[in-house]
This record gives sequence, structure tokens and C-alpha cells, in this order.
Amino acid sequence: MTTTDIQFSPGEFLAPGVDWLNANLHGLFKGITQVIEAVLGAVEGVLLAPHPYLFIGIVVVGAFFFANRRVAVFAGLMLAFCLFSGLWVASMQTIALVSVAVLISVAIAFPLGVLAARVKRVDEAFLPILNIMQTVPPWVYLIPAVILFSLGRVPAIIATIVYGIPPMLRLTTLAFKQLPKEFLELGQASGASPKDILFKIELPTAAPTLLVGLNQCILMSLAMVVLAGLVGAGGLGAEVTRGLSRMEMGLGLRAGLAIVAVALLLDRLSRGALQRHSPSSHL
Amino acid sequence: MSIPDFSNQFDSVVDSSLEWLSDHGEFLFNGLNVLLTGTYKSVLWCIAYPPYYVIAIAIALIGWRVVGVRFAILSGLALLFCNVIGLWPETVSTLALVLTATVLALVVAIPLGVLAGLAPSVDRVVDPVLDLIQTLPPYIYLLPAIALLGYGPATALLATFIVAVPPAIRLTSLGIRMTPREFIELGDASGVTGWQMFFKIRLPFAKPSIMAGVNQSLMMAFGMVVIAGIVGSGGLGESIYGAVRTLDIAKSINAAIAIVILTMILDRLAQHAARSRMGESQ
Repeated sequence: MTTTDIQFSPGEFLAPGVDWLNANLHGLFKGITQVIEAVLGAVEGVLLAPHPYLFIGIVVVGAFFFANRRVAVFAGLMLAFCLFSGLWVASMQTIALVSVAVLISVAIAFPLGVLAARVKRVDEAFLPILNIMQTVPPWVYLIPAVILFSLGRVPAIIATIVYGIPPMLRLTTLAFKQLPKEFLELGQASGASPKDILFKIELPTAAPTLLVGLNQCILMSLAMVVLAGLVGAGGLGAEVTRGLSRMEMGLGLRAGLAIVAVALLLDRLSRGALQRHSPSSHL
Repeated sequence: MSIPDFSNQFDSVVDSSLEWLSDHGEFLFNGLNVLLTGTYKSVLWCIAYPPYYVIAIAIALIGWRVVGVRFAILSGLALLFCNVIGLWPETVSTLALVLTATVLALVVAIPLGVLAGLAPSVDRVVDPVLDLIQTLPPYIYLLPAIALLGYGPATALLATFIVAVPPAIRLTSLGIRMTPREFIELGDASGVTGWQMFFKIRLPFAKPSIMAGVNQSLMMAFGMVVIAGIVGSGGLGESIYGAVRTLDIAKSINAAIAIVILTMILDRLAQHAARSRMGESQ
């Protein structure tokens, strides 16, 4: 057989390129790493600074004002579970990772989504890319991040950002495309500036769909952050990995349940915000 | 503070109950292990025994029937490329895992979905369970599987099975419930039996939704199989995991390419299969 002899490894081919990147753009990657580490450290510091009881109190009161009583009680219970399972620090690390990643994802996806809603050609260019991005299993995202940033929290957060962009971008585009034309015409007719139209007409009308996007983005980011425990991202994912590799099922299960608690907490909080902005209460 | 007490107690309760389970249910779990591994091995044998080009051509032919000529040529070439980069055995075992897990999941999920679609009381029980399963990050399901079955493909299959079941149940019951009222009344009026009502009226209407469920299950299963590489399931997931941990850049890029190729082929095939069925039923 001649065909079986053909062997070609694109990896071998690309590896020197990656090495070159690492050698020559070292400063850039190091800079990114430092910025992300600093931001993460700050967020973690804020989350861990108050005593856990105080923190739970703040979240409950905040949820009560921003959402409703049920969400507040629920959030309190979930956080209490994280505390009593002895994984408070890991839970806060996970929440810090998710919130930083979601913040950056949204900061990237939102403008791109608005652009795609305005310019048809951009939308058409994004569509196949988004399709591919959403089909590929999350594991694959970790590879380039790990190659460029080695192991640790930074590749985890970068993979999470990339993973969280598609749902947010899609729903932003959808939100802005769905806007009733009359509202825009009303704004133009009453001589509002483009900035006013964006902030006073488009954003409030698009808010429900945007919040759905945010909810999706948060949940997907959480799944990715947990998975990233495998590459040393720390947090609850690392505890699960530890439980798996040491066969300490109690630890693994506790960490797993804490992940569930964090997932439910973030889901209910973002949905609570969504319900406040739902059309029934708004119009 | 009683926090460490609580977590220690929790750990010891979990450990002892798992021990009890694996002591007392040993033959059960061994049986499950043998069953799962056996199914996987036989599926694997079917697609690993023929030489790589036979499988590539077979998949290309299926692609030609389902999607089109261009897709057929591309998928055939892409699969040959998987062999060229030296990852054919891994690709095949990943494919075998995905297919086995999806088929097992569908065997359970479709009847259950039909039941849930027909009987609201079943739906009320099943729905919260599915909600819970879908909220947890899929990674978690490896824990109980590994505790009861140990390292190996059986664990990967069990975890993948759990992840792949919910979408199929959901979309099947949705499809069954969506049967237009007029057609049910028409059936009643023309005096069909229960079986005829189900197979001739409800099932055809539910088909597009069921096929969408099959597609989603397949893709969920694929994602999970790759993750399950960490418990020694073999296949591309395991080679990626190894490569990432040792920072073997070349190997991880190759494995990622193979995964993307396989994902795209499976996704397109399943999507088009679902769509063509939809065309038939209309």
C-alpha cells in the first residue's frame, strides 16, 4: 500500500510557528496574562473580603431589591450550601472566573452583535463562523489557549471568553433586528440623535432578548470554567478533578453539588433580572 | 465552626454508601460493565475491522445520499486526512463510543418521551429530573460512573448516555404533544384503534421533532465523549487530554483537527437527515 505511507502532521508543521509566537510575542502574552491575573485577583479579593455570612447577606438583600423575594431566599440557600460544603473559597474563585469571563465576552459580543444587526454583510460573514464555533465541543477551545498561555487560570478564562461569545452575539443581533420599526421612525421623526435612539429606544426595547443572551452566556461560561479545572484553572472544577483523580468521591460529589448551587444561583439571579425587564412589567 | 465536621461527615457518608453499593451490587455493576464494554467493543469491531478507506468511502456514500455530492467528497477527504495525520484508530473509537452511547440513549429516551407526551402525569415526574440533568455541567456525570464502574469505556458510555438522554426525551414528548387537534378528532371520528392512532397519526406528526432530538442527542454525546477522555475512554478525547497535560503542541493540534472534522461530519449528517425527514412528512 502506498496510501498508508503518506503521513503528514499539521501539528508538527504548526508547532514551530507556535514556538515562534511564544518566543517573539512573549511580552504580549505576558502582558495579557498579567492584566487578566490582576483583574481576577481583584474580583476574587472583593468576593472573599467580607465574611461569608456578610457576603450572603449582601447578595440576599441585593437579590431582594433587584429581583424578588423568592430569588433572594433561593440565592441565600445556594450560597449557604457552598459555605457549608466547605468549598466557599473555591466557589468564590469559580464565580470570579465566570463573572470576569462573562464581562469580557459581553464587551466583545455586544458591539459585534449590534454591528451585525446593522450591516447585513457582517451578519452573513459571522453566521458560518458562529455555526462552527457552536458545534465544536468545548474541549477544543482549551487547546489553543493552553498552547499560547500554558496551564493555569489565564488559558481557562480565554477559552471561556471565546466559548461565551457566540450565544451573546447571536441574541444581540436577534434583539436589534427584532426591534419594531415604528419606534425607530418615531425617534427619527422627533429628531432624536443616534445616541439617544440607541440608549433610549433601542436598548430598553431589546433588553429582554439581551438578558436571555446574558443568561445563556453565563451558563455556558460556567460549564467551561468547570471543565477548565482540568488545565489548572482552580475553583470548583479543580476540586472535581481532584476528587476524580484521587478517587475521593465525597469531595468530588460535594464540589459537583456546589457547582450545581452556583449554576442555579447565577441562573436564577439573571432570570430574576430578566423577569423585571419582561415586557409585561415594562410596557 | 462546624463546617469541617459537616463536610467530613458528608465525605464519609458518601464513601461508605458507595462502598456498600459496590460491595452489594457488585454483580449488577459488573454486568453493566460487561454489557456496555461488550456493546462498545462489537460496534468498534464493525468499524475498525475494515481498512480506513472503506469506512471513509462508506461515510462519503451516506453523505452523498443524505446531503449532497460536495459534502460527500469533502467528508471522504476529511476522513482520509484523519488517517494521514495518524489518528485513525482514535477517530474510529471515538465514533464507536458516540454511536453506541447515542443508540443506547435513544432506545431509552424515545419510548420514555412518547410516554411522557401521552401521559401528563409521567411528564410531571420526568420534567424536573430532566431540568436537573441539564443544569449540571456534564463533567459531573463522570463521578458516579467512575465510582461504580472504574476507568474505561464503560464509564464514558454511562456518562455520555446520561447526557444524551434528556434532549431526545424532551423533543419526542414535545413532538407527540404537538399533534394537531383536528387530526386526533378525525382519527376518533373515523374510529381508529389506539395503535393506529399512534402509528398513523401521532408518530408521523412527531417525526420532525423526534429527529431534531436525535440530532441534539448525538451532538451532546459527542461533546461528552471527548470530555470522557479523562477517564480513559480511549479515542480522541484521551489523546487530547494527554497532549494538553504534557503540553505536546503538535499532537494536541492534530487531535483537535480530527475532532473538528468528525464533529462537522456528524452534525451535518444528522441535521440533513432530520431535515429530509421533515420534507417527507410534509
